[in-house]
Amino acid sequence: MNLSTAQPMPDSLLAQARAGDRNAFATLVRAHQGSVFSIGLRMLSRRDAAEDLAQDVFLQLYRKLDSIESLEHLGFWLRRVAANLAIDWLRRLPYSATRPLDEGAEVAAQETEQDPLMSRELVRLLGELPPHPRAVMLLRYQEDRDVAEIAAMLDMPVNTVKSHIKRSLTALRGQMIGAKLVVEDSP
Amino acid sequence: MNARIGFVIAALMLSGPAWAAAKGQLQIPEFAALAEKANESVTVTLDANLLGMAARFLSNEDPEQAKAKKLVSSLTGIYVRNYSFDSDYAYPKADIEGVRRQLNAPGWSRIVGVVSKKEHSNVEVFILADGNKAQGLAIIASEPREFTIVNIVGNIDLEQLHDLEGNFGVPDLDIETPQKPAAKPPAAARPSAAEKTK
Amino acid sequence: MNENPTNHFEEELRRRLRPVEAPEGFTDRLMAALPAQQKPVVVPFTPRVARPFSAARQFGMPAALAASLMVAVLLGVQVSKDRAHDEEVARVEEQKGIAASRELMQALRVTSQKLDLAYEAVNSPPAAGDEENRS
Repeated sequence: MNLSTAQPMPDSLLAQARAGDRNAFATLVRAHQGSVFSIGLRMLSRRDAAEDLAQDVFLQLYRKLDSIESLEHLGFWLRRVAANLAIDWLRRLPYSATRPLDEGAEVAAQETEQDPLMSRELVRLLGELPPHPRAVMLLRYQEDRDVAEIAAMLDMPVNTVKSHIKRSLTALRGQMIGAKLVVEDSP
Repeated sequence: MNARIGFVIAALMLSGPAWAAAKGQLQIPEFAALAEKANESVTVTLDANLLGMAARFLSNEDPEQAKAKKLVSSLTGIYVRNYSFDSDYAYPKADIEGVRRQLNAPGWSRIVGVVSKKEHSNVEVFILADGNKAQGLAIIASEPREFTIVNIVGNIDLEQLHDLEGNFGVPDLDIETPQKPAAKPPAAARPSAAEKTK
Repeated sequence: MNENPTNHFEEELRRRLRPVEAPEGFTDRLMAALPAQQKPVVVPFTPRVARPFSAARQFGMPAALAASLMVAVLLGVQVSKDRAHDEEVARVEEQKGIAASRELMQALRVTSQKLDLAYEAVNSPPAAGDEENRS
């Protein structure tokens, strides 16, 4: 489900889910499963691990529905839990267990791929970032969250978030230019 | 004066004050009032005991934490004060000067000092050298809306510091060790994304 | 981060990092894994009058044996309390250690940021009016 074109959900959906309406809960899941799964996929670089992570996140949500205050809070909560859980899992897994994505493993939500090689290389390079900068970059550029939100989600200072973004952009862009996938613009 | 009291005082003076800091450790204020004014602050005070405790909970499998574990194994203290403000120079420079004056003491050397009038920032890096090792590292960074004091105490192996550079985004400052020639990395050999980004 | 080439790159990142679809059937599998909703079971409560040593008398147990059993139970309770206390202490220590490790990583990150600031200032070409000195 493409979140950007999704119909806005009624606020009552959350209340219905809290009251035990499973259909309402399933609707909430479908609205956010793409984002949560994608965070897992790009953090852990494995589809099976990403699905396990997404399942864990939504099972936690089911248990903690009463603590979700609004649909906006729900979005914040899901991304926070997904990112932090992925960071925890990465810490426990040996690095060899997180292999780069297979070619073609990612299916873009929208078929606008004019340069799939660049996308694959970008995702591969993203997967080489250490866990925290990787999570910051995903929350920023995949989930379009602002710096303050990311800082709150990952429990880190705002300046640290900014620093992660700045260095990661510099490194990724440099690597892409080096691989001749991005043209270096003249100043 | 009671002779016995005088003797005790003299003995105390000879043995040094009870609050004497470890070699390489600076007296850094808590800056409690500044923390109230700051919109963001980081205050870390880890003595040897807490460092040991912290190291036990670092993962050997996370490269970042593994390097941190190795570095702190020979340290006896890490002290950080970092404050960000909403307006320029909301912090009193006198407090920073008080810390900087301690770095005039024998043994401390300033290895980096950069003043940028354009950015209005000032960054200084000091080490308390002892042969190939440093007993202390201090960083004082003042920017219009942020100031930072870092003090690391203990046997800081400069080679390990080189190793740390490139991780956490720490750059290679080309810190020269007295006995070895400077090892400048070739310009083309930039750190990989995994090492540089942090 | 306000330079144009970086802005273009950021836009590329946003475009190429759009969320992907979850695997087919994900929601169905999740819903199947949810705990079944259960109605609370109401158990009628019948208060019992407690009579000391009634079990011993009922089964013809000698009083001394009953007393020994009682002591053993009480000791077991005490051991259990001590264990609970030790576990609580260990839990508090673990929390302290985890908090200290987080502070340590934060301290090292701040240190690296400031060293990076020095690095950038040292390695950037000096602008007009800048001073640069390296001891």
